[in-house]
Amino acid sequence: MSTRVDPDLRREVARFGADDLDKCINCGNCTAVCSLSEGNTVFPRKTIRYLQLGLKEKLLQSPEPWLCYYCGECSDTCPRDANPGETMMALRRWATAQYDRSGHAAKFYTSAKRLWMAIFLRAMIPLVLLALFHAITGFKWIVTDHVELNTFAPVMWVWLAVVIHFIFLGYRVMSGSLTMSRHVLGASSQPFNLPFVVYLSELKTFLLHFFTQKRWRECGEQHHRRWLEHMFFVSGYLIMLLLVVGLLGWFQTDKIYPIYHPQRWLGYYATVALLYGSISMFVGRIRKRDQIHKFSDLTDWLFPGFLFVGALTGILLHIFRYADWPWPTYVMYVIHVMAMVAMLDVEVGIGKWAHMIYRPLAMYLVRLRERSEELALAAGAATPAAN
Amino acid sequence: MQQGKIATDALVIGGGIAGLQAALDLADQGFRVLIVEREPSIGGKMIALSKVFPTLDCSSCICTPRMAAAAHHENISILTYCEVQQVDPAGDGFTARILKKPRYVDEVVCTGCRLCEYACPVNVAHEFEGELVARKAIYVPFSNAIPQVAMVDLDNCLLCGRCEKECPPGAIDFFQEPEEVTVEAGTVIIATGFEMTHMEAKPEYGLGRLRNVLNPLQVERLLAPHGPYGRVLRPSDGKVPDTIAYIQCAGSRDHTLGVPYCSRVCCMYAIKQAMLLSGSLPLVEVTIYYMDIRAFGKGFEQFYQNAKAMGIEFVKAKVAKITEDEQQNPVVRIEVIEEDGRVEERAHDMVVLSLGIVPAGHADGVLPASRAEDGFFLAAEPKLAPCRTDHEGVFVAGTAAGPKDIPDSIVEGGAAALEAAAHLRRNGRSPGRDMNARQESTQGTLAQQAN
Repeated sequence: MSTRVDPDLRREVARFGADDLDKCINCGNCTAVCSLSEGNTVFPRKTIRYLQLGLKEKLLQSPEPWLCYYCGECSDTCPRDANPGETMMALRRWATAQYDRSGHAAKFYTSAKRLWMAIFLRAMIPLVLLALFHAITGFKWIVTDHVELNTFAPVMWVWLAVVIHFIFLGYRVMSGSLTMSRHVLGASSQPFNLPFVVYLSELKTFLLHFFTQKRWRECGEQHHRRWLEHMFFVSGYLIMLLLVVGLLGWFQTDKIYPIYHPQRWLGYYATVALLYGSISMFVGRIRKRDQIHKFSDLTDWLFPGFLFVGALTGILLHIFRYADWPWPTYVMYVIHVMAMVAMLDVEVGIGKWAHMIYRPLAMYLVRLRERSEELALAAGAATPAAN
Repeated sequence: MQQGKIATDALVIGGGIAGLQAALDLADQGFRVLIVEREPSIGGKMIALSKVFPTLDCSSCICTPRMAAAAHHENISILTYCEVQQVDPAGDGFTARILKKPRYVDEVVCTGCRLCEYACPVNVAHEFEGELVARKAIYVPFSNAIPQVAMVDLDNCLLCGRCEKECPPGAIDFFQEPEEVTVEAGTVIIATGFEMTHMEAKPEYGLGRLRNVLNPLQVERLLAPHGPYGRVLRPSDGKVPDTIAYIQCAGSRDHTLGVPYCSRVCCMYAIKQAMLLSGSLPLVEVTIYYMDIRAFGKGFEQFYQNAKAMGIEFVKAKVAKITEDEQQNPVVRIEVIEEDGRVEERAHDMVVLSLGIVPAGHADGVLPASRAEDGFFLAAEPKLAPCRTDHEGVFVAGTAAGPKDIPDSIVEGGAAALEAAAHLRRNGRSPGRDMNARQESTQGTLAQQAN
């Protein structure tokens, strides 16, 4: 098997944040100190070595960047101060850009100007659509003596737009996932012919890690608290996703439900979770006390920023609606939707939120690889004379 | 506080091998030299070593004669157990304030008979023996210490007075007070030496917490013929170790410790100790975990190859952490880089941390010479005059200027002495009696010379 060396790879990845590569002397401290490094997936040294040598193919085949939860112990103890943890982070950004066929991820990660431009343009889409709608209807659908949100922005149309947007986002995530799977599974030395049922039965790995991200807990006791906070935050995020994508007709309503109604408290729970999560991320990044917060990139700041704006405008929208102030409600609604559309578009699959899919997917693919090797081993044992 | 005054040609700060060499080379030319040593005995770190690389000479056998030569030299005075508090330029020379700490034993009267030690009921961990055995609260620092004079460790002393009753010449004096000595000298040679890297910053290696993780000076004592056990045993249970591991760069080339430089001697002393351990324990397996082996000096590469040929195992890996199993065996966690890169935990009976060299000595501003960021003294011209500091008349020798081995320290001691002599002559100080014939000096105790 030939190996192609790409001498520009280091410079390419450096644009995503890894610029301490020259300091690394491959002593292996990082791998040995990592509590997640085990079995056939040992990192970061090996992964960083591929990067140093310009082995792009090898890097694309490595699920390792996604198996790292950035506890930062490798960077804390690196004798050369080479920040292996941050290199893994940069490799995750780079890999996300590699999986993204639209090329957006690469642009957003490497140019702040382009990222802000994209955010602005994406935010304009709902504004333009709504303006068009009211222009066509001659502004008769804006009720101003009391709040009628569902006349201002009819929920069925909004829902349709949301679903179309999510189909688009879903396509992007699927396409990225398929690219990643092709690379990672293609690395196997054995021909990959697992029975279909194995693919299905191993999906439990994906689901388990998707919902719990529980591998993070293996980073050590001191990370359990942050993991719990993250769980709380994710639960709020998933509930909000369910309310907006699955149940918008029920969630966006002019009817005011009693306080004990699930429509109310599910919304409140999710809001609190998102607000808490985004603020704690902000605080951590400002303090820079933990290794993970020492090198915050613009994309790392944007993520809690969006969530905070989303939660805040959501709360204000809620207050204005209950106070029955029509114009503040409508304006806040538009700002809220603009922020959320922009966020979903620059985050899902290509931004910070890529890890939501790619982390559990990497673990799923590693399991598949292991199963394939087990099978090959069993087959080899059954027919020893085959060689 | 009592006051004293000494006038001399050269003040040598530090009585290790570099300082002794500088003092002897100056004294042999006829200059008067005062050595000030902070420990109770001269000899520095070298006198505690078992053997030296790459020749495997007995360290005591070559260091003790130097100590004795300095002690008996007509032109050399020695102050031990003293702190240099301040050195300031004065005229074309220097004035030094020195604090002579009380030993609570009269140095002139004490004969070093050690009857006090036998009488003392208090056992304290023995610093010189790597705290592997005990000493008494009154003790002669070690068997070949110079001067052979007892001292009281007042922090641990019960003041029971048994030693006082036993002492034949009545040398014990609990009312001794610190003494301040003012020294006027024409030149100063800094030979303050080194300490081993402080390991508090690397808690993952467990030094001081895990009983079978040793520092290299402790192993030197284990290997010394007059060491604590007289044989190699591990500290926790006295077991004869079957497997011993060395962890290289445990205190050097590590940004997390603030020691980014290479300490130069650790590779060689680890290899040396590995060879000596193989000699005293024929069945032992020694593994050296390293990042790079730096065998750069004369005879070093051959020494390294010999070690390999002897069967000492060299494994390329930086040990990330050390834990302990139920038998108190230290367990090292490494990535097996040279194989498939798997992470392994390997248990050994004993682990030695190859600690690095960090500067010892004084607070900034005490000595009239600048130090670099790493704490070692700066040479004004690192290439052409490595022993000259940025202050005229102040010279540096040995590990005070940077990590180095014994031969290099001795070379620098000689070079600093030569520069210092030239400086003295320029300032019109001419040597007294030329001692090149090196006559035997028999009269006078150390203390008398000093006062």
